[in-house]
Amino acid sequence: MKWPQLRRNRRSLLPILLLILALVLLFPQRGEAYAGPGAGFAVLSSFWTIFVAFLYSFYALVTWPVRQLLRLFRRRKAYGQAQVKRVVIVGFDGMDPELASRFMSEGKLPNLAKLRDSGTFRPLRTTFPAISPVAWSTFQTGVNPGKHNIYDFLARDLKNYLPFLSSAQISEPKRHLRIGKYSLPLGKPEIKGLRRGTPFWHWLGKAGVFCSVIRVPATFPPEKFPGVLLSGMCVPDLKGSQGTFCFCTTLASSDKFREGGVRIPVEQNGDGFHSYIPGPEDPLGTGSELRAEFKLRPDTKRGQARIEINSETFTIKVGEYSEWIPVKFKAGMGFTARGICRFYLKEISPEVEVYVTPVNIDPGRPDLPISHPVTYSIYLAKLFGPYATLGLAEDTWALNEEVLDDNAFLAQCYGNHEDRERMFFDALEKTPQGLCACVFDTTDRVQHMFWRYLDKDHPAVRDVPQDQKPRVIQDLYDRMDSLIGRVMQQIDDQTLLLVISDHGFKSFNRCMNLNAWLHQNGYLVLKDGKSESGDWFEDVDWSCTRAYTMGLNGLYMNVKGREREGIVEAGAEAEALKEDLRSKLDGLVDPASGKVGITGMFDCDAVYAGPYVDNAPDLIVGYGEGFRASWDSVMGKVTTAIFEDNLKAWSGDHCVDPRLVPGVLFSNRKIAIEKPAIVDVAPTVMKLFGLELPSYFDGKPWAVAAAGDK
Amino acid sequence: MPSNTPLLLVLAISIVIGFLMVIVFRYTSDQKAIGRAKDRLKAHLLAVRLFQDQLPVVMRAYGRILHGTGSYLRLAFTPLLIAILPITFLIVQLDRYFGWLPLQPAQAFLVEARVEDPAALNEASLQLPPELSSSAPAVHVPKDKEVVWRVVAERAGHYDIQIAASGQTVSKQVVVTPGLARVSPVRLKDHFWERLFTSGEPALADNSPVQSIAINYPPREISFAWMEWNWIVLFFVASLVAGFIFKSVLGIQV
Repeated sequence: MKWPQLRRNRRSLLPILLLILALVLLFPQRGEAYAGPGAGFAVLSSFWTIFVAFLYSFYALVTWPVRQLLRLFRRRKAYGQAQVKRVVIVGFDGMDPELASRFMSEGKLPNLAKLRDSGTFRPLRTTFPAISPVAWSTFQTGVNPGKHNIYDFLARDLKNYLPFLSSAQISEPKRHLRIGKYSLPLGKPEIKGLRRGTPFWHWLGKAGVFCSVIRVPATFPPEKFPGVLLSGMCVPDLKGSQGTFCFCTTLASSDKFREGGVRIPVEQNGDGFHSYIPGPEDPLGTGSELRAEFKLRPDTKRGQARIEINSETFTIKVGEYSEWIPVKFKAGMGFTARGICRFYLKEISPEVEVYVTPVNIDPGRPDLPISHPVTYSIYLAKLFGPYATLGLAEDTWALNEEVLDDNAFLAQCYGNHEDRERMFFDALEKTPQGLCACVFDTTDRVQHMFWRYLDKDHPAVRDVPQDQKPRVIQDLYDRMDSLIGRVMQQIDDQTLLLVISDHGFKSFNRCMNLNAWLHQNGYLVLKDGKSESGDWFEDVDWSCTRAYTMGLNGLYMNVKGREREGIVEAGAEAEALKEDLRSKLDGLVDPASGKVGITGMFDCDAVYAGPYVDNAPDLIVGYGEGFRASWDSVMGKVTTAIFEDNLKAWSGDHCVDPRLVPGVLFSNRKIAIEKPAIVDVAPTVMKLFGLELPSYFDGKPWAVAAAGDK
Repeated sequence: MPSNTPLLLVLAISIVIGFLMVIVFRYTSDQKAIGRAKDRLKAHLLAVRLFQDQLPVVMRAYGRILHGTGSYLRLAFTPLLIAILPITFLIVQLDRYFGWLPLQPAQAFLVEARVEDPAALNEASLQLPPELSSSAPAVHVPKDKEVVWRVVAERAGHYDIQIAASGQTVSKQVVVTPGLARVSPVRLKDHFWERLFTSGEPALADNSPVQSIAINYPPREISFAWMEWNWIVLFFVASLVAGFIFKSVLGIQV
């Protein structure tokens, strides 16, 4: 009998083998006292597990009275005056109140409609600007951006006008040991969180309220608090970027992807092919990039390929993703960087094309901390298998660059989403009392990439007849509604359910390069002979430039004494310039469409208050509906055209006038407030648990009805 | 024979068996399922630590640990069951060589014969080859239906001794050698399983008046790491260590 047959017949063999074992054990003699290492392994491993479990039980039992006393002491405030046993916050990044209303009025989203009818449904005011890291930072700290210091994904370095990630900074270990050509790092990379303010779950935790927090944006690096937390948006990939995919192809091309990916050649080698995944820089300071080589053997008859990487071998079909594959990047002297990635086989004939996701930090063996405690990410990986850890795990860039098609992108999104649902429902089960908060960002990514099918005039799909446009966003809202339905089944009336989003969504038809406008209106000056500038103000003459823009909504003045080459005097001159810009930009019309491109210019001194206002953009640009900063403008590039069509799949956005894109607030209880804001969530939850609110909070607690109140 | 030969042989066999068992484990087990079961067990252990203040959660985690242990054992026992027969018979065979020390020339030993009928005790007689001699009169133990002789071998060799009782004669092998040899400490009538595991000789005839004939070979102890080891214990430990090393090197889930 061949092994596969034997394995198939294992069920029928088992009783026979069990009988033999029973017979042997019924006659205990010298011989069978030993049954081989197999038994040894099984018994030792099981015994070890049980031993550890019971050792811990013993410890728990002995220390239980002390811990219980401490807990009672800590919880006396929290649960003594609490109006709820548990608060469950489900965050749907980017869920739009207008769309939700529309779908509900069409008889869809029955669970959200139930919340609307028996509890609360309101638009939720967002932050200035309406960008996820900003809004979710406000959500968690209960303060305006002037107090938490996050104004965009990017912030600018005043010394060189270059961008850096606004939420976290990862730097090399300070000390190195030089051995020949190697520079041996002594210690781990230093990770510094740049978000200020205290998340409200820290206050809850200190008061003895247990909190499970999953993938809330701007929680990287994870901070220590009494609870568990898995970081979300802003967690980097293994290269330290916010996600760099790899497209391995036999098709020669000199084109580079605008952002977010690299093209790697696939070389033929006999019957097979070989290529590599680029990894992080060599930690030994050789300046080279580490690589993980892989071999691919296509099977055109079956439409599949066998891939061999490190010691892993697996087969995938064309148009399918692999599971998460562990990848090792070996440096010298035994240093290894480990991550996980998924392969997507695009084509095997006539060309070989493989897409590889950004290499995620392995949650089971994290090279950087991505959870608090560190064991939480390991726990989730052991329980559910490997999962995406990258902050922006849905590879919007690969779809934008047409490396992935719609279906491949959606498969990736929903694969990640299912993992997160599993984590969330586990957290819900593990948090019978306290706070359970989870943010799902699939809503944001899918709306960004598929809004074009909702908008009949979108330039990216102008030629596609309306009846052939897939109903991706409707399906997305249906899925989220179904998730809420399952949550509602698992909570009792002592639990407050809040379903919130950080902002809504609008179509993104037209791109606006504000740097081009500044250039053409004399505020930004290019070096002699230049009519355009490369990325990050490459050709800008700072000695004559008074204003510039980078990132999604920020407009900065080139202030003397603040920027390295600033020329605008702080005070009256700066105020006058700000007013001048405000008056000219507010209401700016796109000549081609005749629509208003900017509906509001917001002065940072008017919308922010706090110790970090100096780091804020001087003006927040509120783009009109259908408009957004162009991709070039975001990257500090100056072009000749100010307005242009957006032809990319990235067709929906929220980086517009924040008044146009409020988020949603659903609750299973009545909340008596007409215009709730995301900044109110933290004080509301703290008040529900009976805690005193810190005086610096900007949000105001809502009046939440007691269970059963109509 | 050098005194450390049994030690080296036991270690060598342990390493080979450890390797083979790991390979057998690899191809007869559901590696993915074992990996998942182990991971889940670790997750539930971590849950006890992570959610220690949530008593119901901790209790559920304990329950899952027990359930997970059962699942893991079930998965691990399938390959064990497949390997247990050959391994058990191998051990039995090896035990003939490593379990007992053969007798030495001039060393006195006891021959114990147990009979069916106590009446046959007085008739039982021992017939020895010329190289062996009785060094004391037979001792009868009617309570145990046993008769015991004290014998000495003059020189090394494999001998057959004869015991006559109730008109029948049965034989038993005796091994006298300073080296490593296959020995059978007892010859039995019936007792299939006992014969399988302890006797290295054919069964006594069904109508034989003698139930068993035993030689009190001294048990072998092997010196290793400043300790005296029974070979099976040493084999268990050494093959387990070898197995753990091989499974790590070969990336096999155990």
